Parts: sequence; C-alpha cells; structure tokens
Amino acid sequence: MRPSLLLLLLILFCLTPLAAQETADYFRQNCMSCHTIGGGRLTGPDLKNVTQRKDRDWLIRFMLDPKGMIDAGDPYALELQRDARGSIMPTVVGMNRARAEALLNLIEAESKLEKSQFAGMQISDRPFTPADVEMGKQLFTGARPLMSGGAACISCHNVHGLGALGGGMLAPDLTTVFERYGGRKTLATWLTAPATPTMQNIFKTKPLQADEVLALTAYFQHTLQRSPEDPATARLNFVLIGLGGTLLLLGIFDVAWSRRFRAVRRPLIERKRMEILHEQ
Amino acid sequence: MSGSPFFLDEILFIVLPYLAFGIFLLVSIRRYIRETFTFSSLSSQFLENQQHFWGLVPFHYGIITILTGHVIGFLIPREILLWNSHPLRLYVLEIAAFIFGLLTMIGLISIIIRRATVPKIKMVTSWADWVLFGMFVVQILSGLYTAVFHSWGSSWYAAAAVPYLWSLLTLNPDIGAITAMPWMVKLHIVGAYLIIAFFPFTRLVHALVVPNPYLWRKPQVVRWYGIRKSPARPLH
Repeated sequence: MRPSLLLLLLILFCLTPLAAQETADYFRQNCMSCHTIGGGRLTGPDLKNVTQRKDRDWLIRFMLDPKGMIDAGDPYALELQRDARGSIMPTVVGMNRARAEALLNLIEAESKLEKSQFAGMQISDRPFTPADVEMGKQLFTGARPLMSGGAACISCHNVHGLGALGGGMLAPDLTTVFERYGGRKTLATWLTAPATPTMQNIFKTKPLQADEVLALTAYFQHTLQRSPEDPATARLNFVLIGLGGTLLLLGIFDVAWSRRFRAVRRPLIERKRMEILHEQ
Repeated sequence: MSGSPFFLDEILFIVLPYLAFGIFLLVSIRRYIRETFTFSSLSSQFLENQQHFWGLVPFHYGIITILTGHVIGFLIPREILLWNSHPLRLYVLEIAAFIFGLLTMIGLISIIIRRATVPKIKMVTSWADWVLFGMFVVQILSGLYTAVFHSWGSSWYAAAAVPYLWSLLTLNPDIGAITAMPWMVKLHIVGAYLIIAFFPFTRLVHALVVPNPYLWRKPQVVRWYGIRKSPARPLH
C-alpha cells in the first residue's frame, strides 16, 4: 500500500471516534462562539429545538457546507444569513456526516433540559472606561502581549488609524466588527472561543483572558466611530519604500563590487591588452 | 470523504510535503552516490560575463536572506512575534523582507534574460532549467504578492504557518490554520513543496555542496602568467 494512502486512512481514523463527551467538547470549541442552546441568539441562531424547526437531512447538509448552501441559493440558508447580519457560518474543521448527526443528537438532548450547559456564558456588563479602550488598543498592536501567548491582532487584522503602514491584511478589517457582530455580548462571546478555522487553530490552545476580551470589545466599540480604511494607500507606501530600498541596495552592490571581481578572465585580458598597447 | 472541501487540502498540505521530502532525500543521496560529478550548478560561466553580475549577485543575496528568514521564523516563532510586538519593528522587518524578495526577483529576471538571449548559454540550458525558472517565478511572485496583499506575513507565519510545519515534522499533521488561507498563500506553500521535490533533479543541488571551508581556509595566491614574457620586453 502506498504511504500516502496509509496516511489518509490514518487521518480518517483519527476523525471518526465520537464519544458523547467528545461531541460536547467539540460543540464548546466550535459552536459556542456563535450559538447557544436556550440562551438566545448570538451571531448565529439559538439552537434550542432546531431539529423541530427544520428536518435533520437539511440541517446536516447545511452543517457540512454552509457557504455552498448559501451560494446555491437555498432560501432558508439565505434567510439565516440575513438574520445573522450577513455573516456566513464558516465550514467547521473536522465536520463530517457522523459528527453532524452526533451534534444534532446532543442539541436535541440539551434542548429537553431546563437549563442547558450551553445556555451561554457570563459576560461582564460593567460600562467601558477609557482605560479599557487603551488596553484594547495595546493588545491589538501587540504592545501589551496576550497572556496566553497568542499572536497580536495586528498580525492579520487592521483597524482605522493604526499608523503609517496599518495593520495586517490577511484577515478582515475590524474597524466596524462591533456592529457587524451585533454588539457587546455577541462579540465578547465570540472572542472567548473564536470559531473561524484560522482563529480557532491559533487560539484554541491560547485562549484570550476575560479581561482581554473585555478590553478588545471596548476598543472595537471605540473604533466604531471611524470607517474602515482603504488599504490602497498603506499598500502603495509599502511597495514604494520597498522599491526605494531595493534600488539603494543595488547601488551598494555596485559600489561594493567596484574593487572586486565582477568577471575574471575578461578584465584580466583587457588590462593586459592595455599594458601591451601602452608599452608599444 | 471525497466530497469534503478539506480533501484536496489534505492531499496538498499533508501528503505532498511528505512525498516531496521523500523524493528530495532519496534522489539527492542516489545522485550523490551514482553521479557525483553532476552535483554542481554546472558552469553558468559567471566568471566570463559582466551582465551576469546583476543576476548572480542580487539573486543569491536575495534568496539566501529570504530562505534564512523562513528558517529562523520556523525555529524561533515566539521571538519573531516578540520582535514584531511594536508596529515600527514589524514594519522594519516586513520592508526588509520585501526588499530582499524584490532583489531575488530582479536577479532572477536578469538570469532568465541572459539564458534566453546569449547563444553560448542557451546551448548549456536544459528543459529542467526552464521548468525551474517557471517554478521560481511563481514562487517569488506569490511571495511578493502575499507580502503586499496579505500582510503581515512575518507575524502570521510565526503564529499560524509555523505550528503547521512543526505538526508535519512531528508526524502529527494539523492543517486547521492552512485550510482557510487565501489561495495565493496556499500556492506559495504548494510551490515550495514542488520545488523541494524537483530540487535533486536540477542544478539546484549545488546548494547542498557549497564549499563553505573557502570562508575560513588560508588565502591562496593566484598568479597571472602570460604575455608578460613578451619579446617586447628585454629579458635579463
């Protein structure tokens, strides 16, 4: 058997076991940032009794490929997207048919309880202070490191007014994320266990602390007063500085090699020829 | 499973890297043992050509710096993030990396033009060279594009891509952070694996046998004999 096939089988094997506790952990890691069971809607809808609202087959198809369903124009999927203020549920890492079934079973069981363990987490509702906003900004730029060692937001994200070259452009601009995510409770819950594939991968082992979540939420409420930047200016500056630096370095090469060999035989012959001509 | 959107990613980011490194190791060793004397860059005749200076020098300074940067980020990601914790230092690192990327590109363009236009060089250029040039162009352009449009790579490389690379090295692949990357970044990663796989079939092997002792051995005097003993000068 080819090694690649073996490896694939190994991966498949790792994805399959689905104990009940594992499903609950999976829900906590992947779903809780946007969904509650009986705690009201966050970014996504409250999942209490979801299996009574829509048939299992449709739900599983949606869980396997949310964006695909929306792109295909499924009316109920589009309605969900509207309710979520345009947010699209990310394709969840490790989701497959068996896992989706197990999750629906878990949601059904939790829906029957008076208070589910997934009814939502306690988010502080004390008013934000200017100190919170300042701390949030420092966390964003990395001036104040995240307690658990996660990378600062600026690595991948921008907000308006960060300075000369701005923040990262790998991921979305966060200037108006406070509004996009529907305010304090939703955003803070989301930050507690970020569930998009890249964020989750980085932060599942390095979660944000409660005070960091609060400060960042305060900062994002603060940046709401601005509008997202056009990244073109920062990009142009970056490219121009880069081109300038490159020309400078090429100039340095030219100077540094003025007394070194750029070529060996030809200059030697050339010099010799000049000497002979001179002597004659 | 084949319907899953992750299937292709598993092939490209788990199977391909192991395959590429396997080919790299086996073929390099086999070639070193069986065809020892082909283990060089083959003469690119750089000693002869002034024009080659503007290819050879920027390309090698560029590529060696950029590759070293990738390796350093791989070895000490936390220190890179620490360095980047002040925006100004982050900008300095990013601009420096971008400059060396541009140098590599300028050098490569100059080398390609020389290979395509100088008849003597064309004679000693194989199809493998042209495939390699194509791969390099894709690799450098995707790197430069990523630097400009998916910033700040030095930070997210350390935070997201390095853990993935380590997960490969420790035989416990985790592609979670890679699946959602923009396709240009994925192209850069896949391109790197393809170059690693193709490496031992090309003149790139010269990088494995760099005569490092030249850096510290005693200088050797090379004398130029020749026309000096011409009859034009009286002999004593």
